[in-house]
Amino acid sequence: MKAAYIQPFYKATRDVFRIMMDVEVKRGELRLAKDLIPSKEANVIIGTTGDLSGSILYSFPKDMTLTMVKIMSGMELKELDSFVLSALGEVANIISGNAMTYLNSENYRCDISPPHVMLGATQSLSMATDVALVIPMLSPIGDFDINVSLRETNE
Amino acid sequence: MMWKDKYKIGVELIDRQHQELFGRVSNFLQAVQSEGHWEEKLEHVKSTMEFMQNYVVEHFEAEEEFQREINFPEYENHKQVHDDFRATVNDYAETFAQEGFNQELVQEFGAKLMTWLIMHVAAADQRIGAFVRKQGGIHP
Repeated sequence: MKAAYIQPFYKATRDVFRIMMDVEVKRGELRLAKDLIPSKEANVIIGTTGDLSGSILYSFPKDMTLTMVKIMSGMELKELDSFVLSALGEVANIISGNAMTYLNSENYRCDISPPHVMLGATQSLSMATDVALVIPMLSPIGDFDINVSLRETNE
Repeated sequence: MMWKDKYKIGVELIDRQHQELFGRVSNFLQAVQSEGHWEEKLEHVKSTMEFMQNYVVEHFEAEEEFQREINFPEYENHKQVHDDFRATVNDYAETFAQEGFNQELVQEFGAKLMTWLIMHVAAADQRIGAFVRKQGGIHP
């Protein structure tokens, strides 16, 4: 697990939040976790295959999720319903897709699987992964985590 | 969905159509997310969906025609992106026709449409505007 995989995800997140929501995000201090752990209520997991195999877990607080979808839709939203969670899944999907484009330009060929959305903070996803790097992301509408657990397949 | 001036690409026809498309998708989303029983609002959901879908097709065709007129160098790629999204919309439409308008599936469709449209107009379509400006405007 290299810290070099982190920058493409940070860059993609910053771009997508700016383009889609006019929200500026900043990076907090990186930390290591033993597994992928959903720390907040609304979670999106996306798998990767190819040169880098593993999973990315996006973990958002409920209020922030509602604010994000409110900014995009212009509608007042109260519940984490199928509309809100699908929109969150798509945002994570777009971020991951853009991160893959950056990784491709560094000669890693990878693909992503469709987003899978889960509700609720739990102990661990037990993906039998290696350690995960947690990127804490800070923004005026809330703080969220991106957990990256990737392994080079030819290692 | 709020239309923002930053989405403008500087080509009047395209900007006007994008604005119309945002409006129609907004109306559809409002119908989907409005208060009340799903069965009772279903007719309104269906009619706003049809009104919106027709315009997606109309707009893609007009935008592609404009790209051909100006010899937009990324035409093939851009058309492929449109074709992929047309296929996504058609897949949903087929599912709805065969299995009925399941609320959760219609909400999922609305969310995909919204996020795709914002990202496409705010990023991909900006490249058309940049090309037109580089060429020194539109030469009829």
